[in-house]
Amino acid sequence: MIAGRPPAERYTGSSVRRTEDLRLLTGRGRYVADIQVPGLLHCAFNRSPHAHARVLRVQTDVARRAPGVVAVFDGWQMAKLASAAGGMMELMGETNLPSFSLLATDKVRLVGDPVAMVVAETRAIAEDAAELIEVEYEELPAVMTAAQARDGSLPPIFEDLGSNVLFGPDQKVFGEVDRVFAEADRIVKARIAQHRHQNVPMEGRAILATFDQATGELVAHAATQGVNTSRQIIAAQLGMPLEKVRVLAFDIGGSFGLKFGASREEVACCAASRELLRPVRWIEDRLENLTVSGQAREESFDVEAAVTNEGEILGMRVEMVIDSGAYPGFAPGIISTIQEMIPGPYRMRALSFTASGVITNKATYVAYRGPWASETFVRERLIDLVAAELGLDPFEVRLRNLAERGQPPLRMVTGPSLAGLTAKESLLRMGEIFNFEEFRRHQAAMRAQGRYLGVGVATYIEPAPGPRPETPPTELEWARASLGEDGVVSVFTAQMPHGQSHQTTMAQIAADQFGVDFEQVRVVVGDTDQVPEGFGTGGSRFASMAGGAALHVSRQLRSQVLELAAQILDVSPATIDIRAGEVVGDGVPDGRLPLSELVKLARAAAAEGRIPQGTETSLEASFGFDGGQGGWSGGTHCCVVEVDPETGRVRVDRYMVVEDCGEVINPAVVEGQIRGGVAQGIGAVLLERSAYDEWGQYLSSSFMDYLLPTTTDVPNIEIEHLQTIPLDQDVNFRGVGEGGMIVAPPTICNAIADAIAPSGAVVLEQHLPPTRILELMGIIPQPA
Amino acid sequence: MGEQAPARPGRYSPGLPRLVPGTYAAVVLKLPPFVYLAPASLEEALSLHADHEDESRVLAGGQSLIPLLALRLARPEYLVDLSRIGELEGISEEDGAVCIGAMTSELALEHSHLIAERLPLLPQALSFIGHPAIRSRGTLGGSLAHGDPAAELPAVALVLGAQLVAESRDRGRRTIAARDFFLGPFTTALQGDEILTEIRIPWQAPGTGSCFHEVARRLGDFAMVGVAAVARVEQGMIRSCRVALTGVADRAVLRTDGELGLTGESAGSFDAAARRLAEELNPPADLHGSAPYRRHLVRTLVPRVLERACQAAAAGAIS
Repeated sequence: MIAGRPPAERYTGSSVRRTEDLRLLTGRGRYVADIQVPGLLHCAFNRSPHAHARVLRVQTDVARRAPGVVAVFDGWQMAKLASAAGGMMELMGETNLPSFSLLATDKVRLVGDPVAMVVAETRAIAEDAAELIEVEYEELPAVMTAAQARDGSLPPIFEDLGSNVLFGPDQKVFGEVDRVFAEADRIVKARIAQHRHQNVPMEGRAILATFDQATGELVAHAATQGVNTSRQIIAAQLGMPLEKVRVLAFDIGGSFGLKFGASREEVACCAASRELLRPVRWIEDRLENLTVSGQAREESFDVEAAVTNEGEILGMRVEMVIDSGAYPGFAPGIISTIQEMIPGPYRMRALSFTASGVITNKATYVAYRGPWASETFVRERLIDLVAAELGLDPFEVRLRNLAERGQPPLRMVTGPSLAGLTAKESLLRMGEIFNFEEFRRHQAAMRAQGRYLGVGVATYIEPAPGPRPETPPTELEWARASLGEDGVVSVFTAQMPHGQSHQTTMAQIAADQFGVDFEQVRVVVGDTDQVPEGFGTGGSRFASMAGGAALHVSRQLRSQVLELAAQILDVSPATIDIRAGEVVGDGVPDGRLPLSELVKLARAAAAEGRIPQGTETSLEASFGFDGGQGGWSGGTHCCVVEVDPETGRVRVDRYMVVEDCGEVINPAVVEGQIRGGVAQGIGAVLLERSAYDEWGQYLSSSFMDYLLPTTTDVPNIEIEHLQTIPLDQDVNFRGVGEGGMIVAPPTICNAIADAIAPSGAVVLEQHLPPTRILELMGIIPQPA
Repeated sequence: MGEQAPARPGRYSPGLPRLVPGTYAAVVLKLPPFVYLAPASLEEALSLHADHEDESRVLAGGQSLIPLLALRLARPEYLVDLSRIGELEGISEEDGAVCIGAMTSELALEHSHLIAERLPLLPQALSFIGHPAIRSRGTLGGSLAHGDPAAELPAVALVLGAQLVAESRDRGRRTIAARDFFLGPFTTALQGDEILTEIRIPWQAPGTGSCFHEVARRLGDFAMVGVAAVARVEQGMIRSCRVALTGVADRAVLRTDGELGLTGESAGSFDAAARRLAEELNPPADLHGSAPYRRHLVRTLVPRVLERACQAAAAGAIS
């Protein structure tokens, strides 16, 4: 945190109680399922039992005749109402896209692919009727691995793409790769893989669509990370003008990257409402959510590091394959970030990065908290492998390679500036918090007793937003602010909180900058009729981008209000101020004028023409922020584990975080974000896996098989914030939502690898359930 | 019956809609259509169950059956809910055995003083079942009649030599020994018209010790392997012992000292017996554990559990 905060900042930097708490903690939140609408219809989907098959015939007559059923749509009928073109991938600029439909017409491409939609008076009726639909399939061989997708032996999942290779291999070279590999004392090679796991929000996907015959407008209550993005997709796919679609969102039960835009089922729900002229709701159930909503992280890397005997990492060669799943998803969009970020905060001089993507009969690749996290996983695991190869301590190898302020070039080999980097401080501080030497002694003593203890460290940076690039982003984050007659400052943002407490943190910033009490700020989200443009919440964008926009717009509105007050009171703007919701200062009658009074006076004065031309009287301001000078988020995590060689179970004994996320807006919120991310990281390594069998049946479709960490699996997480290096004059808040989930998996894997190293185990994967641990330790045989 | 199960407030909270016998339950979310029957007496339940024999399933807590229905993996035409039948709940003693009504909740058993005194193995095993909320609904009879090959209670019934009382309208009452009760995965000796009404478990005799332990992915998950053991030790030698395992076969498995080759062995050398047992079993593989992993757990858990049982026996306590 920055020392010497101006005394005016009463809220920024303190753990203000969350505005959201009362409703969320007392069960008064309002989710899509809570909305009451007269005449509401419900829908359920008939879904494919096959991973890959031709659809020969869809018989819907029996379902249609069931009591309470209002309509049944098969793929061809739905295709007449809405198109699947113009989805999220088109919005993101992808061009190499196959054609497909909202509901399957000719083919199904994964287990759970929607084939027909039943709309009925109740959800229960819709579910029962969905079972009455008979579908005849001709099964096709399922493409389940990247190798199958690449060897061309199986039929293409999308005929119009001609193959199951979605893109690549595309190579990009930074620096003199061949030269550093020639100079190197050793080359350390490994194939490191991440396993498929997924976002599991408490609330699945959800939408309630109402087509208004009178206005021709479609209103959708959605669970979404951005109402504007959802609106664009719904309008495009329904063939409606943008202004005829309004998207509303209120409380959202988590998302972690899943709920961007509008999914096929959600758009089908909107189409049904327009067709049937009644409101239609779809609430995704857990089986659907686990099976088809989307999965992430399945990426494998062949890596080579050119190193010196002293442990200096000169460069890397990386070949990456990403498994994109069935339908167009986030995979192509994430490659450039992984490529750019893989050197992280380290000084390597050269990088060759080759990427390709494949299509398989599995759930679509979606963004999941820190979608580019594989760059940190691969690099941080590789550093430990280098250390093992050279007989050095992993802590020392990191220290030796981390870039440092004052030592040029302070720049990643891939381009981005490392200005303001505090990675080295975070590692050194971790070395003070945790006594590594003492632990090594303890570890050796325990080993002599047959016990396997390990410590793991990982260091990362996150572009949230990253230092200002040479060409600043053209896409701004907007905030609008207005002062109402009640003296309340309203701040409008396109950010869509779904667990991040934006309504609290944005109000903290605005209250301080404008000069009102926290309670006197209203943060407006979730209505395309009210919020400014912007794609929504993602990429840890809120803190710097939206926080910065809120800061600047509040200042702008404050100047406007002070100028107006000065005109009305006939004083110099320099002599007055806004404090605690009142205009105060010399010349103010009684020394103080509540803002509500000022607004009334201003309205009257404007009506009477007493305000000179050129003075702004709108009491509204708008600001588009480009991130300013930006800066990195990041830090070092460290954890201590014990592996039980009898059961293969891992116990996390201690977990420590040293973090720099710039100027902290609300410590409790920041720490909550870090803890949540670490919990998901623990889940990824020890529990969570989206597993398929070789025929494409999904094996993790319930919480009996997709295991989430519970309170007993997550230890106390010790967090310390570093003093940040401010780069911007005004805005040094940085995003922190994703970091925990980015760096926890390598931290935990490194600790486990350290623990079981005496058995000769080498860890090259992220998922380490008990069976795998004992296999790696050589205690039980590996599968053939 | 003697000790009554504690009242379960909230089960029929006033104000909440309550399904009445004969209600056609097609409006229930997730579950396939079925006729819901909630008899108030055992006699009525037996009669309804017999009327619909093959199409009817008994609902005895619902912690396994309801999820199976929700996933539409079970589709009974009739559901006979035993939860209104008070006579099926309770814990009492008779002729050296504890008699437990089939509908007694797992939580009630866990907190019973009588059970703690006479069958200390039972609460120890119960603590591994799901979570308190699940145990407050789940019943002893429900779990045994479900016959899940990874559940804890079948192993406990086997190791303690439980007698299971089955009743039917037309053929009356019969008693089935636990070792004859579990026939395969989710398959028991109960006939289509029979209801499991009571479980009689002989007291754990003074001088014996017992232990239950399992390894699961998370606290409350189904065991990958669970082991229950009772042992009698005299002068450091095993006089008799029984070991039951769950999660290792298509049903819970029982082995006695003779079968384990432990009779007369010193209480403390179990590794060889555990290795033989592990080799002889052919455990299943799933997402949570491979077959070699489960075999390894048998090798490590069996000695651990037997040692604790012997220690308990030697300590003179029965637990």
